Amino acid sequence: MALREYERDIRGCSRCSICKWVPFAQIKSVDCATVCPSISRYNFHSYSGGGRLILGLSLLEDRVELTEEVADIIYKCVMCGACEVSCKIYRDDIDVLRVIEELRFACVENGMMLPEHMMMVDAMKQEDNVFGEPKSARGDWAKDLGLKDINKEKADVLFHAGCRLSYDEGLRGVVRGAASILSDAGVDLGIAGADEACCGGRAFEVGYRGELEKYAEDFASRVKASGCSKLVTPCSDCYGAFKQLYPMVGKELGVEVLHVVEYVEMLMGQGRIRPTVKVPLKVTYHDPCHLGRRGEPYREWEGEDKLKRPSAFKMSGTRGVYDAPREILSRLPAVELVEMERIREYAWCCGAGGGVMEAYPEFNSWSANERVDEALATGAQAIVTACPWCERSFTDALEERDEDLEVLDLMELLARSLGSEPDA
Amino acid sequence: MSQVGLDIVVCVKQVPDPEGPSSSFTVDEENVRVVTSGIPPVVSPFDENALEAALRLKKAGGGRITLLSAGTKISNPVMLKALATGADNLVLVQDGSLDYSGTDSRSTAALLAAAIGRMDAYDLVLTGRQAADTNAGQVGVGIAGFLGIPAITFAGKIDIAGDKVVVERVLPDGYEVVEGPLPLLVTVSHEVGDLRYPHIAEIKRAKEIPVARWTAEELGVDVKGEKVTELVGISAPRISRRCELVEGDTQREAGENLARALRRDGVL
Repeated sequence: MALREYERDIRGCSRCSICKWVPFAQIKSVDCATVCPSISRYNFHSYSGGGRLILGLSLLEDRVELTEEVADIIYKCVMCGACEVSCKIYRDDIDVLRVIEELRFACVENGMMLPEHMMMVDAMKQEDNVFGEPKSARGDWAKDLGLKDINKEKADVLFHAGCRLSYDEGLRGVVRGAASILSDAGVDLGIAGADEACCGGRAFEVGYRGELEKYAEDFASRVKASGCSKLVTPCSDCYGAFKQLYPMVGKELGVEVLHVVEYVEMLMGQGRIRPTVKVPLKVTYHDPCHLGRRGEPYREWEGEDKLKRPSAFKMSGTRGVYDAPREILSRLPAVELVEMERIREYAWCCGAGGGVMEAYPEFNSWSANERVDEALATGAQAIVTACPWCERSFTDALEERDEDLEVLDLMELLARSLGSEPDA
Repeated sequence: MSQVGLDIVVCVKQVPDPEGPSSSFTVDEENVRVVTSGIPPVVSPFDENALEAALRLKKAGGGRITLLSAGTKISNPVMLKALATGADNLVLVQDGSLDYSGTDSRSTAALLAAAIGRMDAYDLVLTGRQAADTNAGQVGVGIAGFLGIPAITFAGKIDIAGDKVVVERVLPDGYEVVEGPLPLLVTVSHEVGDLRYPHIAEIKRAKEIPVARWTAEELGVDVKGEKVTELVGISAPRISRRCELVEGDTQREAGENLARALRRDGVL
């Protein structure tokens, strides 16, 4: 694909600016009416979904050049996909996010990358992770957990930790907790340890489509070789890559892909996980973009007229994972869920996506703080999520503030309720 | 000549990332070119080795490193990253005439030699042993020819000893040690080592490094006139696969049969 292939989408934009707002029927207050962090932060039309479509048209018609300033606008976007959700309510025929991706591919192909993103991709090439941390240390998080090494023995379920959870020591309890919960439930669980590699999703989002294709190819062969029947990950970023990005570049893993919250909900339904310890806590739940609207399964549609496209092929955001985490929360004794105003497919992004955490940390922090404010307004004692990138963003934002709000991964909270909170 | 104050020119070519997946490269037979998609431009890997060799020489004995690149559209971030490793200057020869079809190894060598000749001083010119896109390996020695200086190819290690350059020249079965006088051109092989990674702060600081921008016309080089080769066709090799099971009554016999089959097919 190339930007030119989306010319009809681009020209179809009626400049209504609905992409900037929470779907109108879901707006509950003026304070939480906007849904796009980029336009909300920078307040100029080019920073919105529709503005980026027009930017694409200007590039197609050679009215602007791809300069550093234009690339800066293209990259000051968290790629959360909220614009796509709002737009899709009215326009079946415009794929806003695909155009935003194409703009980024154009940046990379024309050498207009951001240095921070170049460094991240170099780190991936060097050490197979986005941080440039030693590849040999990737499996250290699982020390003494007694998990199977899928390089040596077969396991029914392959547990993929992801880069953030493999190396962020502050989140060690999340990944160890998630693996232990599954293991304790009798799941035949294996990990790849030091041989686990990045999913490649973050490279794709900053415009390195070819890198994702390489990682997807490699990942598919590893999964096949492992002989597993399920791939389970506690990282929403990885989940989104497996469910949406891999099929987009023509790679199917050939196994069932589940986020750990989906799998845990299933195991709870089978009575294999029974939380009994009361955890008196009022919590609010933050929907990670890559588990929700950006975790929606991708299906290629080859028709000409997108107005005739069946709904199963449209990325409306409504088929993301929203119920499983809430179902788990409802089963935790003494835990009370209070919802924020922007939830499910119109949730506000933590600000970590689209390469923003790497290149624009101030924007990342601003977006996270907006969400923290929204969480505090519910009166919750904790903001619970299911993505390490979101948890890192909120934790870092709260470090600068004097607020009594705990940041938790759902697996950490579940571990408390199982009375088995692991050591980090 | 003392190595203190050695002026080193490193020629760096921007190429589509050769580490991209095969699906990123499409052979356009009609327009006689390879089209890439989904991958960024990078400095050709052997040129990165040349820069690493220059950085080591600078660390050992001081001096200045000038990066030189020519092309139609050179990526600023790609050059910044190379500069950030420790180079001192950047010279860009950017010109609409320098596209894929308008140049060949000879015209590129003529252009780069003219640019080097225009510089205030040069003692040592380093290039990669070949570019990752064309793999021709002609430009380095071509530059030396145009400049009228000696050249040593396939360097695995470079040292300065007094007024001489001592090069370990890579051979298929080892290496030979070759000495050359300054000024000298050396083409560098990957045995030198990978280019170091700059820190992000160094890349940002590299924005302050002076950049000279020249054109072929300013250098007085008629690129088309210097071009002596014409690419008449390009096609992807057709790959066919054949599977043959080599058997034997014992493992030893199977191994011997395998060796015979490999020899028969010209692999051994």
